[in-house]
Amino acid sequence: MTTYRLQVNGKVHAVDTDADTPLLYVLRNDLELNGAKFGCGLGQCGSCTVLLDGQPAMSCMVPVSIVGQRPVRTVEGLGDATTPGVLQQAFIDEQAAQCGYCIAGMIMQATALLERTPSPTDAQIRTHMAPNLCRCGTHMRILRAVRRAADTLAKGGKR
Amino acid sequence: MVKARRTPQIGWWLLLAAVMIAAGIAIAIMWRPALAPQTVSQVFDTTRIARGANVARLGMCASCHTPDLSRPFAGGKPMNTPFGVVHSTNITPDLKTGIGAWSEAAFTRAMREGVARDGHLLYPAFPYNHYVRMTEGDIQDLYAYFMTRPAIAAPARENRMTFPFGFRPLVGFWNVLYLNDAPWQPVATQSAEFNRGAYLADAVAHCAACHTPRTLLGGPDLKRQLGGGEADDWYAPALNQDSPSPLPWTREQLHAYLRTGVAHDHAMAAGPMQDVVTLLAQADERDVAALAAWTHGQLARAPARATPALQAGPLPRPAASDPDLQRMTLGYAVYANSCARCHDVGRDASSGTALPLQKAVALYDPDPRDLIHITLDGIAPPDGEPSRFMPGFRTILTDEQTGALAAYLRKYGAAQPAWPDLDQAVHKASKE
Repeated sequence: MTTYRLQVNGKVHAVDTDADTPLLYVLRNDLELNGAKFGCGLGQCGSCTVLLDGQPAMSCMVPVSIVGQRPVRTVEGLGDATTPGVLQQAFIDEQAAQCGYCIAGMIMQATALLERTPSPTDAQIRTHMAPNLCRCGTHMRILRAVRRAADTLAKGGKR
Repeated sequence: MVKARRTPQIGWWLLLAAVMIAAGIAIAIMWRPALAPQTVSQVFDTTRIARGANVARLGMCASCHTPDLSRPFAGGKPMNTPFGVVHSTNITPDLKTGIGAWSEAAFTRAMREGVARDGHLLYPAFPYNHYVRMTEGDIQDLYAYFMTRPAIAAPARENRMTFPFGFRPLVGFWNVLYLNDAPWQPVATQSAEFNRGAYLADAVAHCAACHTPRTLLGGPDLKRQLGGGEADDWYAPALNQDSPSPLPWTREQLHAYLRTGVAHDHAMAAGPMQDVVTLLAQADERDVAALAAWTHGQLARAPARATPALQAGPLPRPAASDPDLQRMTLGYAVYANSCARCHDVGRDASSGTALPLQKAVALYDPDPRDLIHITLDGIAPPDGEPSRFMPGFRTILTDEQTGALAAYLRKYGAAQPAWPDLDQAVHKASKE
């Protein structure tokens, strides 16, 4: 066991755990940030996507020991039920969730896109979101939600 | 006096003659006539079309002639060359933008000489220096296949060539150097299957286009035939006595690899080779077996070597006496915490086909590009293809961690001397 100091959603947390513990387990079990989900555990589904140093990373593939000083952001950092972020609101408006299991990962994947490419084309949205799977099949609504969020931001909406 | 006046005159005439002869030769090298358009509609025998489909798969036409699976053979895929960016062309039978107006003679000339129907010279990114040795029958079958594909209107995309390579007639000089039209010859002492494979590898599948290094002029370096080349900034391993494979290939492994991309417990197709195995999966199985027979004959020339691949089990911790202990310790930590959960047999469920890393050929390559590409981007099968998946670590590992991992794997996984240009290679790949 080692103590790791992790910067998550702007706050530093000290966590005692093993070097190979996936960041996902630390987020969910130790920090009780349950947005990111355990899907496949193999980096194939994207339901555990968080931002690591601003880049989308599947947190089941990230051993806690390699995070270092890099900031981690999860869906909880975007807003909450009373003050949702632009992407969260867009997902609500498009009713993009069926079971909801993939949605936190989808939103973080989309966050990474809109931070780097504020006005993406539909093709860019599709390509960027491709690693994240939705077993319910609401992909079309998810794509529309990302489009809506991009349009809201283009009109000067708050991130 | 008279003599002194006449000599320079003869000199001028000789010079003029020499210039005219040189110009004549240059024109003969650089200029080709247009061929008459095909105006009569043609009917093709279905067996010819089916044979042509097999030739097209063995020749990997689809892998370059479209960037978009929903528009097969419509062209437009960019290819980075040292001379600029060349785009593949539309080879569907569209009359205006494809090859719909090409007669069989024009198609044959393109395949053998690299000349378009209108007479312009094609860039050798199109491997006509291999197709020149294709049999007449195979070319005719291929023609039947392409002329019966759905026509797609897609104008050629503008190439972006470095000066002066935008001037296509210059390719004529490349042809003088590298276009060898001597017909393909079987090796009398070899089996029919080996010779079939040798023909397919050279004249159709053009393996050497990637697996042979290129000269400064972009031609094959024939002194190092199949000695390891490159494709899309991936190292394409040597297919001769210089093969970097840590364990000898068997014919069965090669057959499985070329057919499915997976040689169990031995090798996994990645990078540009994935397109190759995807197309070979659809080709005639006997032809793939022949390619395996030939490739095996090539690789069997590599001497047996004692490598860590012979030992099972997880890789060791770095030695306490290691002069680069800090970096190796970081590399080991990344290996143990990230890689080992799938690559050490038994550590994790669903890791059945992940190779023990001491068997991974990328660790033994002469340069680190393949290992870095696979680490950063993983192995994702082409759209719609099953299997061969590894997640990429591009957004997870820092450059320092990736470099340390590669240095550690090279030393403790493969027992090979350090790659000199490792850090630059990591930096370059992570910026892509």
